Amino acid sequence: MATKRIGRRVNGTTVYLLLAVGGLVSIAPYLMTLNAAFKPQSTLLSTQAWTPAVPATWSNFTQLWQQYDMSGFIVHTTIVAGVITIGQLVFTTMAAYAFARLDFPGREPLFWAFIAMMMVPQIVTLIPLFLIMSHLQLIDTYRALILPYVFGTPYGIFLVRQYFQTIPADLEAAARIDGAGTWAILRRIMLPLSKPILATLATITFVNTWNSLLWPLMATSSERDEVVTVGVAALQGQFASELHILLPAAAVALLPLVAIFLLFQRHIVRSIALTGLK
Amino acid sequence: MSANIAEAATSAPVATGSRARSRRTRTAFEAYLLLAPSLFGFLAFLVAPVVIVFVLSLFSWNLITSPQFVGLANYRRMFTDSQSWHALLNTAYYVLLNIPLQTVLALLLALALNRKMRGSKFFRVIFVLPWMAMPVALGVIWNWFFDPRSGIIDHFISMLGFTGPNWLTSTTWAMPVIASVNVWQYTGYTMLFLLAGLQAIPQQVYEAAAIDGTNALQRFFRITLPLLRPSMFFVLVTNIIGSFQQFDTVYVMTQGGPGQSTTTMNYYIYQQAFQLFHAGYAATLSILLFAVILLVTIVQFRYFRKRTIYDFS
Amino acid sequence: MFRRATRKTLALATAAVTVVGLTSACGGSSGSSGGTVNLTYMIWQTSEEAAYQQSIDVFEKAHPNIHVTIDLVSWAQYWAKLQTSAAGRNMPDVFWDHLEYLPELAKEGIITNIADDVKSSKLDLTQYSPKLLAEWENGSTIYGLPKDWDTIATIYNAKDLTTAGMTPAQLGSLSWNLTDGGSFVAALQKLTVDQNGKHPNQAGFDAGHIKQYGIALEAPNGQQDWWDFGVENGCELQDRAYGAWTVSSAACVQAMQFEQDLMYKWHVEAPGTITNTPNAAALPQILAQNTAAITFDGDWDLDTYQSSLPAGSWGVAALPTGPKGSGTVFNGLTDAIYSGTKHPAEAWQLEEWLGSAASEKIVTDSGTVWAAIPSLDSGFITAWKAKGIDVSAFYQGSQGATIGYPLTTSGTAFTNVVLKDMNQVWLNQMAPQAAANDITSVSNAAVANGD
Repeated sequence: MATKRIGRRVNGTTVYLLLAVGGLVSIAPYLMTLNAAFKPQSTLLSTQAWTPAVPATWSNFTQLWQQYDMSGFIVHTTIVAGVITIGQLVFTTMAAYAFARLDFPGREPLFWAFIAMMMVPQIVTLIPLFLIMSHLQLIDTYRALILPYVFGTPYGIFLVRQYFQTIPADLEAAARIDGAGTWAILRRIMLPLSKPILATLATITFVNTWNSLLWPLMATSSERDEVVTVGVAALQGQFASELHILLPAAAVALLPLVAIFLLFQRHIVRSIALTGLK
Repeated sequence: MSANIAEAATSAPVATGSRARSRRTRTAFEAYLLLAPSLFGFLAFLVAPVVIVFVLSLFSWNLITSPQFVGLANYRRMFTDSQSWHALLNTAYYVLLNIPLQTVLALLLALALNRKMRGSKFFRVIFVLPWMAMPVALGVIWNWFFDPRSGIIDHFISMLGFTGPNWLTSTTWAMPVIASVNVWQYTGYTMLFLLAGLQAIPQQVYEAAAIDGTNALQRFFRITLPLLRPSMFFVLVTNIIGSFQQFDTVYVMTQGGPGQSTTTMNYYIYQQAFQLFHAGYAATLSILLFAVILLVTIVQFRYFRKRTIYDFS
Repeated sequence: MFRRATRKTLALATAAVTVVGLTSACGGSSGSSGGTVNLTYMIWQTSEEAAYQQSIDVFEKAHPNIHVTIDLVSWAQYWAKLQTSAAGRNMPDVFWDHLEYLPELAKEGIITNIADDVKSSKLDLTQYSPKLLAEWENGSTIYGLPKDWDTIATIYNAKDLTTAGMTPAQLGSLSWNLTDGGSFVAALQKLTVDQNGKHPNQAGFDAGHIKQYGIALEAPNGQQDWWDFGVENGCELQDRAYGAWTVSSAACVQAMQFEQDLMYKWHVEAPGTITNTPNAAALPQILAQNTAAITFDGDWDLDTYQSSLPAGSWGVAALPTGPKGSGTVFNGLTDAIYSGTKHPAEAWQLEEWLGSAASEKIVTDSGTVWAAIPSLDSGFITAWKAKGIDVSAFYQGSQGATIGYPLTTSGTAFTNVVLKDMNQVWLNQMAPQAAANDITSVSNAAVANGD
């Protein structure tokens, strides 16, 4: 008995040790980047990454802001990611409800068409999207960044539709008998019950849009609509070895999402796992 | 399968034939109305581009002067272009470097967390943090970590008494370094799915097995892994599709070099389209990538189908 | 009921679309607003931005109806961005042009022929260096007014030189050859030190643990390394302007081989693992950290050396002389006007100003870059003398034998393949002849394909 208990305790310690190492590796790049961002240029290279930035200095950020319109990048990215997220939430809910609950001719083939397009890699649509947008003279506008993604993705529609199908149909039937229309049902019954999946969709959409590089790289060319990814990539090209400018920029690009995450972490962690379950 | 409420409502006792029909029309109209925005986006920004890409693959075009019809010349060129095969191999190498490692690590973490213990919620939050990091920013940070003069990686290696290679200027090491970004970023995220899968396995199955006298290792291979198949399937399919599309970190860290050692398909297509301005050829290459991803996904479906029922409807 | 629901659905959809519309509208756009014409001027050199901003401030004062925004894009992204914006029809109105890309841009018809503007403005073209002007003319077509020129020279870390017992004058009078390397290799041997303090020509030298290399060279296409050895060895990159590539000729391959030998036979040059672009540390840093004692670089980078190394700790010397005498790569840029600009008249006014002696004087006198107008060159020398650096080696280089950028429509194809192959040559993973053959055949195929 006694040996067994000790064995279990050792086992438990190993597990904690493993988790602690994993956890440290997960957060170390964030912490070290943030730390380095506050080190003066002279000590950035000469001290270890984990040596605290004492005394801390804002001079790197001042220099970064002088070189680059970082605030502009953040604002543009927030606008684009915000509009796309709101749009996807609204349009995806509508489409998913139609697919999950309404009977209409062509429903099955249409749904399968959506599913089939889930596998299309982004690069396939890149050149055609660029052609469409330049034909419409929309290159280098917010519209070019927003339009292709604001109406929802097949993946999102699939995700929400699957969730809608798990909501008991009786609730709706009762409401229909009480005279509620589709819109009322969607708003009063489906939405309150689907908060977790909608939070998931919002998180994934916002994070993906915030982090996406390839399309904004093509679709923007001036400081008036360039987003953070394009800005940081340009900085890397320009100041390849000047870490006292690059690392603060990386920190500025990373931190907004971390802040949002820590605010809503409980919701987000639970909801990400949802996407893997049927 | 899905209960049709609209129909259930319309089949109320008083409904006559024509009224039922008009209600059905109305429902259909409503459905299309709800679908309209998504359908528009779907057709304009997904279906149309796919059609355009196939048309484009038959042309030679620098995106500026007028395009020229070349028939299947781009396809013939693709099969003789050693660089395109090199890029495809690089992509496969990248996938092989990061998928097995990240899946095994994720499984280990999930097993560790799949128990009643203090702090498990805390760890879950910590492990998901890397998932939301911007790959472009990670490229900058990894460049710093792997810098031969001031990087933390070489510092650790020298503490062990070795000298690290020049990671990013080495044709051997550049790709593993790029893959390590992805492993770091997606291990925790993958873990969440596997953990959810583990938690869905009923405790009674293990209890029954324990009575039969199986040891922990046997239980893992005979019960846990087979019952984890649906989660494993989801994780592998999505991660592999994602890995085949590596672009951001290559763009920021190595621009495909040194030599051609980190030129992935996505980066090669980008180069062809927007640096060399062979839009038609780039379109052809993107069709090749599409076909490869489709093939790999179908193979996975086949493999997992054997023991898993996973339907989309 | 149904109607109300439908209306709400529609309302929401419209609302969302309006949001999209609104956000895009507030983005603003280039062009003219309130009588002011907005021009975009795209450049790639960070260190030159300040001087050009100064010049543009003067221009804007004289032309209150024109506002010019400088768009700085790094060289690595500049050409992809330029072409993408050409395809998207939102190019900058005026932008720096480079001979490596001129023929392609000209073929695509996106550069304005300024010959008529020159005539109507009665501009005196003879003020420019004839060698520069000729490169930017094609028959009666003029693609832009020359804005500067550059050559390659030796840049050294003064402390390393003193340690090895050498003077800058000695460094500037070296010569190299293909048989024993000449006095150049001998000097580099003195400058190369392993961790035990031994030199490559001493017994017991440990090539695996070199502490300081004699030289480090870095160039994505060859301009700052094997082209310069090439011009001193009789290497021609192409048989004639707009002709075929001849990189696989013996003279060129020998130049590449010589540099590969500096790395792997003589052990005096930092290998590709340290210098391969795009991931290598910048040359000024390599010098500052004593990774190498000397390098070859263009005058456009002088500012970066000045900011990376303490004043007085570095200097400029002439390139070593080769088997066929001395030589260097000579190149110059122009400002190009986008043929589709909405404001051709204002764009020409900006072009004319930037090409004027007044503007070039502002830029040259700040020590930013040599002027395309020869009478202003002394201003550059004076500016750097004030900072304690003698830059006359660049000037002497321009007066001697020079090689220019090849004129070809296969510039991007060449740039791509040369980077990929030479990376491997500098890693000792590819023979110079094999690389040269591949570079030649790929680039010539691109000429033939017309792409």
